[in-house]
Amino acid sequence: MNTRNLWFKLFVPLFAMGILIGLSTTAGAATINVGSLNDMTGATSDVGKDYALGIAEAMHYVNDMGGVNGKKIKLYQFDYGYRVPEALTKYNLFKRLKCVAVLGWGTGDTEALSPTITKDKIPYVSASYSGHLTDPKKTPYNLFFATDYSTNARAAITAWFDKKWPNHKDYGKRKPRFACSYMFASPYCSAPIKAIKDQATILGFDVGSDQDVSLFAIDTKSQVLAMKEFKPDLVWHGNTTMSVAATVRDAYSLGLGADHIVNNWGYDENLPRLAGKAAEGVMGAAVCAFFGQDVPGMDKVVEYAKKYNPRIPVEKRLIRTVQGWGDVLILWEALKRADKAGDLGGESILKNGFETFRNFDIGLGAPPVSYTSTDHRVAGQVPIYEWKNGAFRLVERVDLKGRWPDKWAKEWIGW
Amino acid sequence: MRKRSLILIGLTVVVLGTLLVACATAPAPTEKSFQAPVVTLNSVEMPYYTGWWYFDVKVKPTKGDAGKYGAPLALAFVFDIQNPNQYPVMMDGLKFTIAFDGIDVNTVNSPDVQWIPAGKTNQVRVMAITDARAALLSLLVTGGFKLKERGTNVWAQLETWWLAAKDYSLSIEVKEGSAIFKAGGVMNVVGFSGTFAPE
Repeated sequence: MNTRNLWFKLFVPLFAMGILIGLSTTAGAATINVGSLNDMTGATSDVGKDYALGIAEAMHYVNDMGGVNGKKIKLYQFDYGYRVPEALTKYNLFKRLKCVAVLGWGTGDTEALSPTITKDKIPYVSASYSGHLTDPKKTPYNLFFATDYSTNARAAITAWFDKKWPNHKDYGKRKPRFACSYMFASPYCSAPIKAIKDQATILGFDVGSDQDVSLFAIDTKSQVLAMKEFKPDLVWHGNTTMSVAATVRDAYSLGLGADHIVNNWGYDENLPRLAGKAAEGVMGAAVCAFFGQDVPGMDKVVEYAKKYNPRIPVEKRLIRTVQGWGDVLILWEALKRADKAGDLGGESILKNGFETFRNFDIGLGAPPVSYTSTDHRVAGQVPIYEWKNGAFRLVERVDLKGRWPDKWAKEWIGW
Repeated sequence: MRKRSLILIGLTVVVLGTLLVACATAPAPTEKSFQAPVVTLNSVEMPYYTGWWYFDVKVKPTKGDAGKYGAPLALAFVFDIQNPNQYPVMMDGLKFTIAFDGIDVNTVNSPDVQWIPAGKTNQVRVMAITDARAALLSLLVTGGFKLKERGTNVWAQLETWWLAAKDYSLSIEVKEGSAIFKAGGVMNVVGFSGTFAPE
């Protein structure tokens, strides 16, 4: 009896301690799973890789800041090589892994998955900023932190009209002439065409024929020569960086004499590297500040880039990293709000999270973010930049919502 | 009976005491004491190889759907992970970029967690699959200027790489690598690079 008592006295406290340690470990390990679908091998891998790095680095920051009200986020990040069938497969895996939201990537995966995520009620925060994804009546679970391609295109042409056209020698004598250069067959490139031509008409441009320029093009002389007959004052480029650089270079060497405005995915730190002096004066919608620029929050972006990817020189990092952070930061805030409301289901993340944002400031040079149950366009103000004297400089924050309030509210959503 | 019990209790106390002393004398991980583990590319293996080929959507397959399909290039990267510390460290994932002839073809993220015992070296094998269709598009969209400068084109470049892989005469570069190591509450991110060059 005595022996049993001694064993009991010795081991019960040890056992209890073990249980306590075990329980406290379990309690501290509560996690929220999030999926991330990225292109690190395929057609968009040059920018997709930098975006993916930004996503991972931002998630480290989020967890360092306490995660979602104390719960850590577990990120499942996969490459899908821009293969849409593989995106569907990976999405099914995210569901198996009980991911509460997905950080998606391009137009292909985003549009292919849109009906499925709507049915499943899983928020899908992507880097495809198509205006078609901003109407919650059609795509309620598609979200992104940036102003959409159509809004960006309207803002870019408006900024040129406001700031450049008045300095032209023909200002007041004739209408400005405008043409578009993009790959017709690409959904990304053609997404804002209707919107920018509508804006051109509103501002009183003469609109010339579109030029079909492949995303793979490194020689665009025939398209530039075709444009030259129309003598445009302004060309909008809807492609990605390499083919935009090729067109800008050819326009420079063939003396087209036009200014250039570029959509988001063709306008980054690589454009001046590839286009050289032809890039001088090229304007674009950047959606946020460029990597390393002096704006609130950028110090953390740079710090985490250096910390988690020490072998990638910061000079090689792009605005795409900052865009990755933008999408992570809005998802983080939505998760925190939904968690506070006591429900981390997809519908709650949308309704108690995203759609409660009213001018939520993420910093990073991006416009403050708002979503409502009827409008997923994040902002009516768009920063337009210009490459000048070796740096990207802010030209104007175009306030589309303020200048055309009726059109903004009633006409321009969803296209 | 009572004597045996006392001996058992005594032994238990001695064992527990020894463990406590061992714990007290083992160095605790601190920012200062945490030495960076070393990640070294040991070798690259090709676990699966089907040669060089590409099918356009116009080619009718014997079974299944037509499409644009390119030959896969499956590579397994074997890394040595050396822990110089006097305590175990946890590797919480690693990632790196693969380049052929100075052109990036894949960035690989391996999130798997493993523990490396004190003073020991573990090995980790990371699979990377690059298919010729994805590599084609990547090169077409981004590599045009670079390939033109080299006097080649996308198709010729891909064929060269895929055929050279067959006899390990392709120089495979690992760059921009980073691995996250943790011990206690301390973290260390280690950069690494390496080349698996032909003999």
